Amino acid sequence: MSSVGIVFRKEIREILRDRRTLIAIALAVLATPTVLFVISQVSTRTATQTYTVGYSGDIPAGLDVLFGATGLRLERVDDPAAAAKRQVDIGIVFTPAGIDEYYDPTRQSAQIADIRVQTILAKYDAAKIAASLQQKGVDPSILNPLPVNVHPLSSPVKAAGNSFLSFFLPYILITMSLTGGLSAALDTSAGERERRTLESLLLTPAPRSHVLVGKILAVSVISLTAALAAIASMLVALSQIQFGGREGSAFPVDLSPLAAIVMVWLAVLLAASFSSVTIALGTLARNFRQGQAYATPLYFITIFPASIVLFIPDFNPSLAYYLIPILNAVLVLRDAIVHSAVAWSSLIVTSASLLLLGALCFYAALRLFTREALLIRS
Amino acid sequence: MTDPAVKVDRLEKTLQTNKVLRGISFEAAAGEIFGLLGPNGAGKTTTLRVICTLLAPDAGSVGVLGHDTRMAPQEVRRRVGVVTAEFGVYPRLTARENIAYFAELSGVMDGELNRKVDAVIERLDMSSFARQRAESLSSGQKQKVAIARAIVHDPPVLMFDEPTSNLDVLASREIREFMVESKGRGKCVIFSTHVLHDAERLCDRITIIHQGRVVANGKTEEVRGKYRDLEDAFLSLVEAAT
Repeated sequence: MSSVGIVFRKEIREILRDRRTLIAIALAVLATPTVLFVISQVSTRTATQTYTVGYSGDIPAGLDVLFGATGLRLERVDDPAAAAKRQVDIGIVFTPAGIDEYYDPTRQSAQIADIRVQTILAKYDAAKIAASLQQKGVDPSILNPLPVNVHPLSSPVKAAGNSFLSFFLPYILITMSLTGGLSAALDTSAGERERRTLESLLLTPAPRSHVLVGKILAVSVISLTAALAAIASMLVALSQIQFGGREGSAFPVDLSPLAAIVMVWLAVLLAASFSSVTIALGTLARNFRQGQAYATPLYFITIFPASIVLFIPDFNPSLAYYLIPILNAVLVLRDAIVHSAVAWSSLIVTSASLLLLGALCFYAALRLFTREALLIRS
Repeated sequence: MTDPAVKVDRLEKTLQTNKVLRGISFEAAAGEIFGLLGPNGAGKTTTLRVICTLLAPDAGSVGVLGHDTRMAPQEVRRRVGVVTAEFGVYPRLTARENIAYFAELSGVMDGELNRKVDAVIERLDMSSFARQRAESLSSGQKQKVAIARAIVHDPPVLMFDEPTSNLDVLASREIREFMVESKGRGKCVIFSTHVLHDAERLCDRITIIHQGRVVANGKTEEVRGKYRDLEDAFLSLVEAAT
């Protein structure tokens, strides 16, 4: 067996006996379903919760029925404005001239109640106007001179699902590719110095580049496993958990074969790059804790590009943007998930960029791993 | 003396801004225990690190069985085994797995791997704990693992750098016996220490270095010369060189 294979096998054996790495992978598998379950519970509760409307004055006929049907409970109060600050979710004063509404925008319950009230009032106004027009013999459709028939080219529910996936999936892929193998990477680099095994290892005839490749391969496999396990558990959870109290099927999960292939390919590239980076940082560190401190900024560096799709959902970049590592992976995955198509040019540029990043990280790790200062500092 | 197994010639080495070695020369032969003596900071460990190719010389040369450390570092590493006071082992591997790992990296072929590993386990009387994880071993047992991994590929040159400094009396004695046994097997044993009593008992020849320079070199009894023991000779030589 080659030196690379010998080191790889030993590292995998040690990693699988390390509780920290196993716990990290288990958390990767369990964390996403847990978070999604909590989100579903909150969204279901929000959708089905009844909010209280404190009111004074006379309610127009029929409006009370609409309030009740929309999850708004009416409660008569002396001063709706004062009550809206704490006692009720929203305050309404019905006057012959119209309605005065009072709500506190800093309260989420008030915001939701306000949306429901506005929706009800808009429907009520439209119904009243239509009834008045009909009484006067006028066709109510005159109010809508350009009726619009909407023909979605794909399921709006599915589109919403894809939009959700296009953020969450790259986010999990990137963060898990980094964190899933971090403990193993630091253990195999900083840990060698901390345990004082580094010198003995470097005394063997095995070329240092082979030793390093074996270590990077082992950490990459762990990172990849953690990332793919986390994504698989997320997809299973999404297919089982219901959001917003909707009846029927759960969240529509539709990861096309193309998106799945692109995802795995990017996961391999990211895992290899992150493994090289974290092993390089670990090689600089004297011990595991110092390695963790060195690796902390990586979280921010990786999370920021992953979040860009959330903040700029319609971000439509030129090909040059695909040169930026990590951001390019997010963009390619978004295209694959939302549009079920990836431009070859963007995939090639992204792959080249990530391969170059991996090569640079490997070179840096090798330089660090072979310099004399590594041993002098030990 | 027969042809030297290790030949150090006018070796110089600077670590960061500290000139540690200033033209060290000596030779060590097969079938002898060669003592490398000196006070702390004299340059003993740096010398050994250059011999085993962990550090590159700035000037001068080092040859191990005819292989230059700069030109053929891998050939040198195949022929050298090093035991230090810092006997770090992989805690989640068993003692046997630790030894087998280094055997494989040292080029022991699959066909003879088990035989060689078993042989070294038996030789160092490690059978009772060979299948225990290293994290559960005592210091003496870990030191045996460190020795086993250094000799499992049967190198002709063995280097011991302060090997007994972290060990109790019993374990230290086993190390000394092992060095004598290795000498009997025709190995070139280089023993770096500042425990002069050990050196006087074990070493056939010694070199004393101080502040990166050789201050004495020769057979142990010659270096001791007119003094009562090696310690007196050492103190006198170091004082004269300061």
